[in-house]
Amino acid sequence: MTTLSLRAIAAALVGASVVLWLSPAFAHAVCGDRIFPATLAIDDPGVGDELALPTLTYPPSNSGGSQEFDATFSYTKTIFPGFGLSVQDGPTWQRPGGYGWEPLNIEAKYNFLCIPEFEFMASVGTTVIWENTGTGTQTQPFNVYQPVIDAGKGFGDLPKSLNILRPIAVTAELSETAPGQAWTNGNQNSTNLNWGFTVQYSLPFYNSHVAEVDNDFFKHVIAITEFAFSKPISNFAPGTNVTTGTIQPGAIYMADTWQFALEAILPINSASGRGVGVVGELHFFFDDLFPDSLGKPISMWGQP
Amino acid sequence: MIRHSIVKIAASLAFALAATAAYAHAQLEKATPAVGGAVTSPGEIRLKFSEGVEPRFSGIALATEGGAAVPLGAPSVDPADNSVLIAKVAETLAPGVYTVTWHAVSVDTHKTQGSFDFTVKP
Repeated sequence: MTTLSLRAIAAALVGASVVLWLSPAFAHAVCGDRIFPATLAIDDPGVGDELALPTLTYPPSNSGGSQEFDATFSYTKTIFPGFGLSVQDGPTWQRPGGYGWEPLNIEAKYNFLCIPEFEFMASVGTTVIWENTGTGTQTQPFNVYQPVIDAGKGFGDLPKSLNILRPIAVTAELSETAPGQAWTNGNQNSTNLNWGFTVQYSLPFYNSHVAEVDNDFFKHVIAITEFAFSKPISNFAPGTNVTTGTIQPGAIYMADTWQFALEAILPINSASGRGVGVVGELHFFFDDLFPDSLGKPISMWGQP
Repeated sequence: MIRHSIVKIAASLAFALAATAAYAHAQLEKATPAVGGAVTSPGEIRLKFSEGVEPRFSGIALATEGGAAVPLGAPSVDPADNSVLIAKVAETLAPGVYTVTWHAVSVDTHKTQGSFDFTVKP
């Protein structure tokens, strides 16, 4: 091999290294100065490589008095920047009722908007809950389709005279749950409208933009309350088109590569359940943990 | 059976995560002058991030309350700690409110940005 060809190979390797090094990593929900955490009842507006394992839910007992416990996981893989596929599943225990594995839930989601100076971002997606993929009590003989839009707004762009309000952020979600089968075993499968929002107060934002938080624990905490509602809008049995929902106050501890969230679940009315439930989730950000492998998009399509 | 599988998966994941060097978004942990603090004229702006940063792609700007830029030296990292980004303040600052605006590229190329105020006391 000649000296010239060795130099050419070396130059090519250096060039490739520079290109790879300069390829930006793609983050979870970051827009401008704002980092939106992963939330539990309302999806955040970002798309990133992440794993929620586990999400443990002990909801309020339902209006019939039965109690449920869910243990689910969710994994999202970015296909190209801003676009990802996620899969969610897990077992459910009901008493009385028994055990079952939830139907497979797959979502395609695209983060189409981020306006950094306004800390505003939005995404659209579609979820399919697949027929005949559940077991036991969770058997479902039809697909369910759920188009969804998510948005988030941080208030870091407020004037400095309102400094104390700048760590606030809100996120919101609107979706429709449409069953692929109108009737099952003589029962109507209603189409539901779902909506909700979160209100967050970010101490990490406060620490880096307003005033120093002199406590290593609290400077990672985001106080949050989530509000999630649903109402049948078509093909519902008479007298069942009641709005149900939960209010979920809690807190999120956000570390560099993971977060832990814990929230109470308060039903808004008797149709939404009785008593107080609780939900907790451990969440890993693969874009931070594995930036050069699992944590980056499969394709850089759409990037300059 | 399924419960055991979940435990095995969780244990495997925990091992994989523990065995992997992790990088992340460089979030501002601490600043000198302090975020929102009041100080005498500082000789440098020192920003401590949660991760190592790349000085060639990171920056610090300083401006008066009226928006006039204050000259700073080129940003560099502390030789003993690449998560600390430093810029020398080229002149003595008059009393008043100043805004630090920063952007950082962590060593794994994640980008973050932010700004904060501090006050120079008379």
